Amino acid sequence: MNEQPAAMHAPDLPELSAYLDGELDAGGRQRIATHLAGCATCAAHLAELQALSAGFRALPDEKLGFDLAGVIEGRLAHLPRPPAVRRRDWWSGLPVAIGAAASIAAGVFMGSTLVAGSAATAPRMAALRVFDTMPPGNLCIGLESCYVKGSVK
Amino acid sequence: MADDAESGLIARAQAGEHRAFAVLVRQYQDRVFRFILRLVGARDEAMDLTQETFMKAHQALPGWRPEAQFRTWLFRIAHNTALDVLRRRQRIEFVSFSDLPAGEEDHALPDPARQPDERLADSQSIELLERTLQELPAEHREILLLREVEDMSYTEIAATLGIAEGTVKSRIARARSAALAGYQRHTGEHRDE
Ligand SMILES: [Zn+2]
Repeated sequence: MNEQPAAMHAPDLPELSAYLDGELDAGGRQRIATHLAGCATCAAHLAELQALSAGFRALPDEKLGFDLAGVIEGRLAHLPRPPAVRRRDWWSGLPVAIGAAASIAAGVFMGSTLVAGSAATAPRMAALRVFDTMPPGNLCIGLESCYVKGSVK
Repeated sequence: MADDAESGLIARAQAGEHRAFAVLVRQYQDRVFRFILRLVGARDEAMDLTQETFMKAHQALPGWRPEAQFRTWLFRIAHNTALDVLRRRQRIEFVSFSDLPAGEEDHALPDPARQPDERLADSQSIELLERTLQELPAEHREILLLREVEDMSYTEIAATLGIAEGTVKSRIARARSAALAGYQRHTGEHRDE
């Protein structure tokens, strides 16, 4: 178990990334967890991915800033009555309907006065601090299996 | 799969009840807007495209089936709407990886030693991250938004973008790698100033 083939230390980013997202099956999860426990390089890479993820989640929560539903309702009221709902496969209908809708949607858009209402939301910034508190890379956590070139001091 | 309350609303909207569709719009307008805003960059344009997305969704509503998750269905329309504009603008720079031999894609992460060694103000970090995001190819920016901001699973992302789950996995990994490299380039620039 401690004997890791050198090739495994080349980080397989998609695996690490999917591990972060909780998208691996139980076997894959276990395999990565075992490797991470013994490899500071991969652990540092995972920490980077986590910090990036936390950073994206800390981006300001942008809001439209007005009630679009009311605008849409007003526009729909002025559309010609749609034909009765036809039974058909939903995805065969989708692209056709979208194409057809494009011309309709090109009509009246909201005035620029509506723009004024958008409120800036206080960003959830704490998560970004992870970037700054992360240890410098290649910090060996001291396990025997961590023998990547340059990582063992 | 849409929940019961949502399915009910959709069914009523399909039957022509505008008030029911308005409730759906109200539920999703901010999520669709922030996705499109970060995709196209400009606020006014994002507002127009958000409205266009819902008008298209209303038009396509007769084709919606309860088997489809409403959110991914709606985001797929938003994706198509925004990408049309990006293509027209020719700002889109899809990176093609299909010509790379299998298993030889560059999955290497940026050198961790290039981590910023000084604390950046939070607002500055966010600004750099926003800038980094805007500089990514649209394809990378979009999948990161769906994963990190919209918190979609790989299955949901695959349905939204119309790609295989395996592609979702590899594209997210590449997008993260590119984002890290971009962010670290910016923090490096900041340090040198
Ligand atoms: Zn490793």
